[in-house]
Amino acid sequence: MKQLALFAILSLAYLDASAQIDFTGEWAPVYHEDAPERIPGPEIGDYMGLPLNDAGRLQADSWDADRISMVMQYQCRPHSSDYGMRGLGNMRVTREFDPQHLRLIAFRTYMPAWGSMRTIWLDGRAHPPAHAEHTFQGFSTGVWNGNRLTITTTHLKENYHRRNGVPSSDKRTVTEHWMRHGDILTVVTVVDDPAFFTEPLVRSQNWFLDPGQQVSQFYCEYVTELPPVTEDSIPHHLPGENPYVSEMAGWYGLPTEVLRGGAERMYPEYLLKMPEPETPPPAVCELYCNCSDFRSCL
Amino acid sequence: MSRGPSRALRRLGVAVVCLAAPVLASAQGPPQGPPQAALRPSAREAAPVDLTGTWVSVVSEDWRWRMVTPARGDFASIPLNAEGRRVGLEWDPDADEAAGRECKAYGAPAIMRRPGRVRITWENDETLQIETDAGMQTRLLHFGVPPLTTEPRSRQGYSVASWERPARGVGATEAFSLFSGRIGREPQSLEVRTTHVLPGYYRKNGPPYSENAVLQEYFDYHVQPNGDERFTVTAVVTDPVYLDGAFITSSDFKKEQDDDGWNPTPCSVR
Repeated sequence: MKQLALFAILSLAYLDASAQIDFTGEWAPVYHEDAPERIPGPEIGDYMGLPLNDAGRLQADSWDADRISMVMQYQCRPHSSDYGMRGLGNMRVTREFDPQHLRLIAFRTYMPAWGSMRTIWLDGRAHPPAHAEHTFQGFSTGVWNGNRLTITTTHLKENYHRRNGVPSSDKRTVTEHWMRHGDILTVVTVVDDPAFFTEPLVRSQNWFLDPGQQVSQFYCEYVTELPPVTEDSIPHHLPGENPYVSEMAGWYGLPTEVLRGGAERMYPEYLLKMPEPETPPPAVCELYCNCSDFRSCL
Repeated sequence: MSRGPSRALRRLGVAVVCLAAPVLASAQGPPQGPPQAALRPSAREAAPVDLTGTWVSVVSEDWRWRMVTPARGDFASIPLNAEGRRVGLEWDPDADEAAGRECKAYGAPAIMRRPGRVRITWENDETLQIETDAGMQTRLLHFGVPPLTTEPRSRQGYSVASWERPARGVGATEAFSLFSGRIGREPQSLEVRTTHVLPGYYRKNGPPYSENAVLQEYFDYHVQPNGDERFTVTAVVTDPVYLDGAFITSSDFKKEQDDDGWNPTPCSVR
């Protein structure tokens, strides 16, 4: 009986440990923001909504989509964990408990796009030293702030902020706030990239709980789609010579300068000084007019 | 003759009661049922976060649909049904202007997506007020006061607010078990449900919502590593008339130190 009493007391000691909420389950992404960019993919030269600096624009302008067809290193390259939350993000979240004390020590996420798996450590461990390996998913730790989980991710490999060549550096730090409201998950992503941004990029994504979702395996095969011009050639555009970076402005009747992004164009004041478009907008929408999910976008 | 519970069992009972008491107490949450004005803290006193101040919208998402008026029929990202698309294509800004309906894209289901600033204040202890400089609109969020059945429809509708408690399934009360406690008990977010809206547009180019639209919102406050204070409002619109499923967005705002950027601007149809 004494053993039973001790067991009861020890069990109750864990009841009020910390405020936490369960994020586990099958989460289906909601594409009710920027669906044409996130499903079919962004247009070349579209940097709108990004606090990009000149170095970022220069590198983005040099990008040529033929790289994916000709250079093996660009094929099967996964989204990083920051862009992955914005991209094709069906997500399974599981949790891991310390088998001895039954404390929650980690969430694990799986996204079928490129089979991306991430561990978010909750056991208070430190991030590795700066010289440690950088990966596409990075190293993530989380702390509770009431019912909100705040995650810090470092050690990310360089990749892209948008999959039209907008670069992301390996110096970036990503902060996420996970918030669950009933069966809706909202994740605010704050990307601080001192190499390519003038201020942190803050965006938010939504999922809904979909218990019937079956996430699948992901297969990617390396195939040479175009013969390289030379053995070591990397398709690119030299500065100022990319003929495609302004195309999009004509399609949608936008002033060309807005495509260049930048923090100064992300706030309401810009409405007062935005120039008139060089080409009038089309009378009726012509592209991705009703794109809001996979079925309607593709 | 019965000897009654053993000493060990009695000690266990005392220990369980002592340890469970704070758990049970904190699991009860705010009083349910009829309001007890004398005992219940006001909504302002009970606020788990301070949302007051002036906040600027950060247009890092949907730039092309928020900063400029999209082309007729560009309803990308909105899950309109066939009827919604049909009505949306009939958009006539000149007719709206002539009829004095310039504010159709500034109603509650749309206003938080307009580029601009919002000023949040307590109108009184039970009513939070959101003013917008874009379109010069005012939303009133009433804590615990449901709309009257005769409530007239308006551009901003009638909003009922509460400090959201974490999800706990369909149970009416929190379950308590000896060996499994509840976690995540404290309210964190502002939850708002808005009904009684006039028909309007999600965007300036006419994607419609009907008077049957219901807007559910969650306001979450967070602080960034650089010290920026922000809130994100997750909005879930249901509208059986024009939507094919719920329309879910989340909009981000950054706190400003002063009102220098406040720029009241009337509604415009283009």
